[in-house]
Amino acid sequence: MSEFLQAIAQGVLIGSTYGLLALGMGLLYGVSGVVNFSHGDFISLGMFLCLALYSALSLDPYVSVFITVPVMMVLGTLVFRFLIRPMIGHQFLMIVQLTLGLSLVLQNGILMVFGGQPARTPSVVESKLMILGEVVLRVPHVIAFGVSFALAIGLFIMLRSTDFGRSIRAVHQNAHAAALMGVDVGRVQVLTFALGIGILAIAAALLLPGTPIQPTQGLRYTIITLLVVVLGGMTNFVGIMLGGLVIGISEAFGTIYLSNTLGALMPYVIFVLIMLFRPQGLTWSSSR
Amino acid sequence: MREEFYNTLSSPVWWGVLVLAALLPLVLSSYYLHIVILSLVYVALASSWNIVGGMAGQISLAHSLFIGIGAMLSSALLLKLGINMWLGLLISAAISGALGAIIAWIDFRFRLGHLSFVLITLAFAEMGGIIVEGWDFLGGASGLMLPRDTGNYLAFQFGGGHGAYWVMLALAAICVLINVAILNAPLGYYLRTIRDNEKAAQAIGVNILRYKIAAMVISAALASVVGTAYVRYMTFADPYLLISPVITIEIVLFATVGGLGRAYGPALGALLLVPLGEILRGKLGSTLPGLHYFIYGVVVIAVILLTPRGLLSYFELTWSHWRRR
Repeated sequence: MSEFLQAIAQGVLIGSTYGLLALGMGLLYGVSGVVNFSHGDFISLGMFLCLALYSALSLDPYVSVFITVPVMMVLGTLVFRFLIRPMIGHQFLMIVQLTLGLSLVLQNGILMVFGGQPARTPSVVESKLMILGEVVLRVPHVIAFGVSFALAIGLFIMLRSTDFGRSIRAVHQNAHAAALMGVDVGRVQVLTFALGIGILAIAAALLLPGTPIQPTQGLRYTIITLLVVVLGGMTNFVGIMLGGLVIGISEAFGTIYLSNTLGALMPYVIFVLIMLFRPQGLTWSSSR
Repeated sequence: MREEFYNTLSSPVWWGVLVLAALLPLVLSSYYLHIVILSLVYVALASSWNIVGGMAGQISLAHSLFIGIGAMLSSALLLKLGINMWLGLLISAAISGALGAIIAWIDFRFRLGHLSFVLITLAFAEMGGIIVEGWDFLGGASGLMLPRDTGNYLAFQFGGGHGAYWVMLALAAICVLINVAILNAPLGYYLRTIRDNEKAAQAIGVNILRYKIAAMVISAALASVVGTAYVRYMTFADPYLLISPVITIEIVLFATVGGLGRAYGPALGALLLVPLGEILRGKLGSTLPGLHYFIYGVVVIAVILLTPRGLLSYFELTWSHWRRR
């Protein structure tokens, strides 16, 4: 029983951060129809920026966030403005290939600067544990869970009841009509991309303590994020958080109950099955 | 139909280039020979991917799975069960083809959109990688070491160096020729119709399932065969090289840079980028690891933004402008 609880708890904690990663991608897809295959490499970049700040100024990742978020958002704006925006409206597959190219550039840019050795960024809470009954939780995971949900709720409120949020939803539902109503579609797309990248920078810091990082990890994060976004039904933000939990829990169960290999396979098997039998995602109602 | 194909087959230019290429190893040092062999491997792989990704317009990211099966399974069959590698090549190609058929069937049966197809194939590729790394029969994470190449053709050994070069040249030529043949056969027209408008294709009676499966099976089996030949040349079957999504991404990028859906486009992309990357890696690999991938990324972004139809079309346009003047 304690094993079962442990698996659930671990899965929920990690899954919430996966959900947060996926929210950024879902938002971008919603307003511009772009699927960013370099998503995971931006996460990687966020992690390595934290590492750089630690080695230069010995900042804790949780403090570095205040520097990495604006830096990454500026970078995201530039990337969107000069690389992705010219491609919007072209063939969908060209954007996939463009972001795959971008992924190679980011991943190997990081490799050239930081080298290929796995690195760790220490944090004060790194090895602290929290014990609830029979369940042992790592404090960084608990922090990640809290911040992820707080941010998700914040985003949700923002989408519901601010002008910017409403313009995002308007562009998502019908970009043409939104433009006619005076919404600056291009600006909404850029800001959404920047917002998504900013969220990534936070998620990167949340995932960082206790996790060895290396430049080649980006693709794995991209894949996990894609799985979550698709499970959540692409643009349904509640569904996406739920999808994060499903992937997190299936991964935790797989590694605790099955062998490592089968555990690692679990999320993919679940993904393929859901993709085939519920292609519209996990939730029943659509977000529109 | 096949007129164009026979024209290619009987074209003196084609055979001239091939003969000249076949004489290359006599003048190249072993370092450059290695680079040319690698380029040919990627010419063959990118051309095989082009059948699905370029002509049928379906970005399949499962190619590493087929390459991996061709490489790892045939090596495992030889080392663990003593099965001759020629037979292993056929078994692997058959399994890859069958898997390709299953993926194409899933795509058709569940009417996946473009994005879903990309993701499902990526999921299959990832699962393949995880299985190889976790299963000792296929070498696990440490890979498999093939016996030394003694040049015994019956055991799928070609004596390294020159022998490997000729085998790769033949394979690359066959893959490009198959591209020419398909493009000029009804299959090629059907695939392009499916790419351009699947619903319209169905409405005029194109059997979508049959042609999607055909494209995927041919593409998968070819990739598997190239995988077997590649691993024989490398001698060491490295799962992190052969069944990682990176090799698929490289292939997709080479094909895009050269020109998707064209017979010679992917070959052009691979012939330009692989030598560039390898030479950069040789010169700067120790000080700046990853530089060649970085440059691939920059090149593909530039090509997509500037000439989205690929370099082949760009060169053709420039050539015709220049001639008209």
